Amino acid sequence: MGSDPALRLTGLVKAFGSTVAVDRVDLTVPAGSFFGLVGPNGAGKTTALSMAAGLLRPGAGRCEVSGVDVWADPVRAKTLIGVLPDGLALPERLTGRELLTFTGQLRRIPPDVLTERVQELLTVMGLTGAETTLVVDYSTGMRKKIGLATALLHGPRLLILDEPFEAVDPVSAAALKAILVRFVASGGSVVLSSHVMALVEQLCDTVAIMDRGRVVAAGPLADVRGDETLERAFVELVGAADPVPDGLSWLAS
Amino acid sequence: MVGVLIRMKLAVLRNSTTGGRAAWMVTGGVLGLCCAAATVLLTFADVSHPGVLGDLLAAVWLGWALSWMIGPLWGASAVLRAEHFALLPLPRPRLAAGLLGAGLVAITTAVTAVAFLSLITYAARLGPAAALVAVPAAAGVLVLVVLLSRVTHALFTVVATSRTGAAVTGLLFAGLLIVSQSGWMLIVPILYSDVLTTGFSPLFSTVLRAVPSSWGVVAVEAAGRGDWPVTAAALAGLPVLGALLLLVWAATLGTPRRSRVTIRGGAYGTAPARGPLAGPAGAVFRKEVRTWWRDPGRITAAVVPIAWALGTALLPLTFGAPVLLPWAGAAVAWFAVTSAGNLYGDDGTALWHTLTTGSERADVRGRQWAYLAVYGPVAVLLSAGLTVWSGYTWAWPWVVAVVPALLGGGAGLIAYASVSALTPGPDPRRRADAPLEGADATGPSYVLFWVGILPAGPPLAVIVTGHLLDVPWLLWAGLPVGVATGVALAWWLGDRAAARLQERGPEMLHTMRTGRPPPPSSVGVARSPLGVARSPLDVASSPAGVAPSPSPAAVVASGREVVRVLGCWIGGGLLTFPQGLVPVILILVGADVRSWFLAMYLPPPWGLVLGVAGVVAGVALFTTAIRATFRRAVDGR
Repeated sequence: MGSDPALRLTGLVKAFGSTVAVDRVDLTVPAGSFFGLVGPNGAGKTTALSMAAGLLRPGAGRCEVSGVDVWADPVRAKTLIGVLPDGLALPERLTGRELLTFTGQLRRIPPDVLTERVQELLTVMGLTGAETTLVVDYSTGMRKKIGLATALLHGPRLLILDEPFEAVDPVSAAALKAILVRFVASGGSVVLSSHVMALVEQLCDTVAIMDRGRVVAAGPLADVRGDETLERAFVELVGAADPVPDGLSWLAS
Repeated sequence: MVGVLIRMKLAVLRNSTTGGRAAWMVTGGVLGLCCAAATVLLTFADVSHPGVLGDLLAAVWLGWALSWMIGPLWGASAVLRAEHFALLPLPRPRLAAGLLGAGLVAITTAVTAVAFLSLITYAARLGPAAALVAVPAAAGVLVLVVLLSRVTHALFTVVATSRTGAAVTGLLFAGLLIVSQSGWMLIVPILYSDVLTTGFSPLFSTVLRAVPSSWGVVAVEAAGRGDWPVTAAALAGLPVLGALLLLVWAATLGTPRRSRVTIRGGAYGTAPARGPLAGPAGAVFRKEVRTWWRDPGRITAAVVPIAWALGTALLPLTFGAPVLLPWAGAAVAWFAVTSAGNLYGDDGTALWHTLTTGSERADVRGRQWAYLAVYGPVAVLLSAGLTVWSGYTWAWPWVVAVVPALLGGGAGLIAYASVSALTPGPDPRRRADAPLEGADATGPSYVLFWVGILPAGPPLAVIVTGHLLDVPWLLWAGLPVGVATGVALAWWLGDRAAARLQERGPEMLHTMRTGRPPPPSSVGVARSPLGVARSPLDVASSPAGVAPSPSPAAVVASGREVVRVLGCWIGGGLLTFPQGLVPVILILVGADVRSWFLAMYLPPPWGLVLGVAGVVAGVALFTTAIRATFRRAVDGR
């Protein structure tokens, strides 16, 4: 298991009706890497990550976390992954502390360890000021933070994060980045999806670019972007339309 | 404006109607048409007293108006909502008028329009002038009830955001339910009294006719008498009141003026180290109990069964009959299943949390325990207190046997229904300002209501046998049988629910994310859970590995199938209750009522045999109907 990659997707396919959202995706996330999955809207990033996290059943293919098949041995795989989905609900009528305690109980973390971890996570995430606020009343940024805290709580080996920085203010984003960098430095692996190229360039050492359900480029950041910025490489690979399309002439009148 | 909104509504309906939902719509429409037909037939009744028919018609129309007020509180939010148009520069009254117009295009409106034809058939007996007046009057009342329904919903939405308001909403909702169902209690005295020949008391008639839903009847009768000023007043009253309601409704459509009441949690909370709440199921139990206490929508759901049961049991006291008192607790346990039958749908996409922690089994069990904690103590206390109050000592064996069976059976049914008949709705935070805008689980709730009574069967059978054979200990054997039935059903159905959740959790999450069940790979419109695939690719060009999605296709029920299932439901109801249980009980207590109970026309032993056969056949039909309904609900969602 030690030499296994943190995440390996093999021949992954997902079709919704006649649309193939993820089309024969092969992807390897090396252990200890900070992996960025980029692509335009609708490229299939969320669909691919949902399948890797055990939340969406693949049409075909395999998802392995440290060599454990997510769909064949879900119980073991789920102890290895921490997930932050984008825009999904949480148990809304709990406070942040209650939500973390609840999650820890579901994951059978011993109570004394749990109490300590919960306090630490709330402090690091800057959520101690909202002790009595229910999650339903959290702002979008606070939801991201409490979501990341639930993903980190059980000390996973792999974090799967879908758009973790969307709607997060710059100060909180800096704190989240620091946490993730520390997580990777201590031997964990992170896979995050984003369409903010600068962020991925700043954080990730390995990237993959998805377009129309396919992986069009993958590898170390330096290899993928070459001598250009990631954004230019991305635009070239994905095939940019005319940057200023015709039309909308009435807007200026 | 109205035309655009109507087309938009139809487009939304077209894109969101699945086979399961269509089946419920057809079923509801057919049931509604039966009621509408009964309303029209009423006007052909041969009644000797002239005013009585008008009174009866006005009472039935009041029932229709009340149903319009209750329905949207129980069911889903409107297809088109004012928020969708918040950014458009539209004056609110115009938006309200547009939404009203679009709201009129609905199966419910069509069914009510059929029912309101009864005013024309009634007026035809009073003369041609009355018949002419009946057309605008019926149309006016129709618009009025739709408006009433919208205004009630808007007011309740504002009230229900605080916990006290949510409890009050529950009380009022239960009150409306009791008023509309107590119509049946009125029918019995009406049939057995000479009211049909002597007429109702003048006070009753006057009060009834003052209600706006009766103004159509008033106008028609006045026209029949040639009393034109009253006709004109009643006809003019309809648009005036309608305009007032429209203004009230328009005022509620804007941005809320006051902020929502924020419900807070406790500052501290640690996991218990030992005891029954220490494990995962205990954690889910604690989370659920907090949710029942903190979510206004859940508070309303918790109050309705309790208030309904109390009201139903206490109402007969108004004419001095304590006969229903001992059954209040059983009624709580029975009705509670309808308010907790879509737990996963109400929690929205939070299901991902259960799936990633691999805690499906603990989740189902924790929810069952929380359900029992919410309704169990109330059911037990009400049963004990009100049975003592009633003074019916004979009722004890029945009560102690039925309540645990219904509670346990309910705990099993809500778990199973929540998983197998998941109805997607908006995520909780999207309806934080409007707790009533939940998923429309009216159809499954209705099924659960009737299925929820079945767990009482085994203990009742034991007690009835005890009565038949005159064996006192068998009467009390109902208690262990009731407890065993409850425990067994709660355990077994919960187990099935957990297994199903483990097996189909990702598909349920997909349904919650998109509002539709996962389509099959080969047909249908594609949509990724959180984004639209940019370029549809031909599935044929994909590798052979594109396996069909494990979920079945959305099944659109054929007309014949709907009729068959509906026939099973109606036949099962008729055989089990009026042709089964009721005559059996009547024979056992020695009552001499024949009415339409076939078994009562036979000598008692044969009557009993026929009654029991009715129950058996009825339960068989129910089983068929339940299986077909749930299967379609599952396939369709």
